[in-house]
Amino acid sequence: MNLPLLIASGIRITTPILLAAMGGVFNQQVGLMNIGLEGLMLLSAFSAAVVGFRTQNIILGIFSAILTGIIFALLHVFFVIKLKANLIIVGIALDLLAVGLSGYFLQIIFGVKGIFSSPRIPRLSPLIRIGIMSEFDILVYMSWFFVLLTAIILYKTRYGLRMRACGENLEAAFSLGIKVDFYRYTSYIISGILCGLAGSYLVFTLQIFSKNITAGRGFIAFASVLFGSANPLLTSVACLIFGFAESLQIRFQSFVELPPQIIQMLPYLAVVIALALKNLRSEGV
Amino acid sequence: MNRTLIPKFKILNLGGILISIFAIFLAFLVGAMIMLFSGVSPLEAYYSLFVGAFGGWINFADTLFAATPLMLTGLATAISFRSGVFNIGVEGSLYLGAFASAWVGFTFTNLPSFVVIPFSLIFSMVVGGIWGYIPAILKVKLKVDEIVSTIMLNYVAILFTSYLVNYPFQVPGVANSMSERISKNAELPRLMRGSQLNLSFFIALALILIFYIVNSRTKFGYESKVCGKNMYFAKASGIDVDKIIITSMVLSGAIGGLVGALQILGVYYRFYDFFSPGYGSDGIPIAILSNNHPIGCLFVAILFGALRSGGSMMELMTGIPIDLSNVLEAVIIFFVTAKIILIFRKSKKGEVV
Repeated sequence: MNLPLLIASGIRITTPILLAAMGGVFNQQVGLMNIGLEGLMLLSAFSAAVVGFRTQNIILGIFSAILTGIIFALLHVFFVIKLKANLIIVGIALDLLAVGLSGYFLQIIFGVKGIFSSPRIPRLSPLIRIGIMSEFDILVYMSWFFVLLTAIILYKTRYGLRMRACGENLEAAFSLGIKVDFYRYTSYIISGILCGLAGSYLVFTLQIFSKNITAGRGFIAFASVLFGSANPLLTSVACLIFGFAESLQIRFQSFVELPPQIIQMLPYLAVVIALALKNLRSEGV
Repeated sequence: MNRTLIPKFKILNLGGILISIFAIFLAFLVGAMIMLFSGVSPLEAYYSLFVGAFGGWINFADTLFAATPLMLTGLATAISFRSGVFNIGVEGSLYLGAFASAWVGFTFTNLPSFVVIPFSLIFSMVVGGIWGYIPAILKVKLKVDEIVSTIMLNYVAILFTSYLVNYPFQVPGVANSMSERISKNAELPRLMRGSQLNLSFFIALALILIFYIVNSRTKFGYESKVCGKNMYFAKASGIDVDKIIITSMVLSGAIGGLVGALQILGVYYRFYDFFSPGYGSDGIPIAILSNNHPIGCLFVAILFGALRSGGSMMELMTGIPIDLSNVLEAVIIFFVTAKIILIFRKSKKGEVV
């Protein structure tokens, strides 16, 4: 078995999941579970594909993906905060909206159904061309930088402290004079930016856009956040487990005894079991 | 700005319906704006959508055909939402129920129709019900949030059935992952030449009526409604809340399982992995739009069915992508849920006073 290749592919598969999951960490910490990550990622990916293809400029593509991520993240949280919409239902609606809008405009703009692939979509190039590092572009490094940054923001800054206070007890935070809406909105802006990067990563590595390009990665990111109790470091470990499970399954099928469906199933099962065990322990106390 | 209007609507008892209609109207408006933005005529689009959905008996039958699974996933979701349980797991029950029914259909090939069909349907309900029991017991005993557990368990169910048709029940020499074909005896009869509409429509209709009666006439119907309105109050007034949670999750799962079975016996005749285009998750907006009312589920499901069957006609006639139907559905959900919680909040304030 080719170990470096396995590690490289595991890390690459983890990258978009990790980026979106860090967005999810901010939302979870402020007390707003975000199951719309998948939709945000898909819409950003679409915007990255259109702008990247038209301008042949990867920076503009990423920029438009981030902007798209922010716009729809704000739409999501606006419905939740201002219009008192149900968080979960709006999240589900956002995922549906993303599939609909990207499919609709894919056909309107490119005249193709479901999938658009072109070598004229620009491609991210590796930052350092040594060993397995040559498999990694800038977003791979950035994703891990964001894990650190998230941890620092959440646990070492006043902004993070107040954000977590909102998540802990919104009314208490409000009565202490914390501008709760500011923290809730900004957590979604951050989430939009990170999902934008995640979407760009997919498009600018695969040089493709399809209606199912995200293929559940947003939900895996969401599961990772829950599994890691919204702690950035634990969440990143969960993302790695998901990423490597998939990399094992894709690249080394013949080496793995277990059927791929069972391997893919385990992380989801693990989230349920972890939650049950956590509550079992606290019940016992 | 709506705040002052909503209590008045509630007294009229037409509020839910009016707001739902308003949300649908707004969604069509947003859809029209998107179409104008992309340079196509919304009038032409909506006209062909309407004709495609309701113009002529065949088209209408196709709309009902598209609505059938949605009626039941809507009902399944509504049963749990009504009791205040947020079951997102209908999709998981649907997959397991579908496989269970297919298994009966291709294993007991000698049984006559009047035995194998009920056997297959009941078995799928049992499997779906058991699947619904798991998150229910986790919620009641260990306080595991059912939203999270059901979302996760959906993936487990979908992947597990995919495993089943790829390994133990794999059909040799077939490229796609599918089970063997069910026997002719297990197929649900079609109702009309030229349309896929089948007996499952009437089964769905019957269940909607049954739950209309259960909700309005039985102890469970009353207690689950109280639970959904306020669980603390329900507990204080002596209702066994845990029992209601478990019962409604099991019922929801059982109906989810049945939807899967009806799609297999009535449409696909085999189990394919990943066969459902999200029937289970479609149940969520349907339940919300219908205010968790069974009869409401019927009408909303027909609306969504019309968007789908009419959408393909629209694409054919005007070249406007059918994905517009998804956009319309999503926008409807956005607007309706925005209103739902406003009502919820209002009543919560009332309790405190």
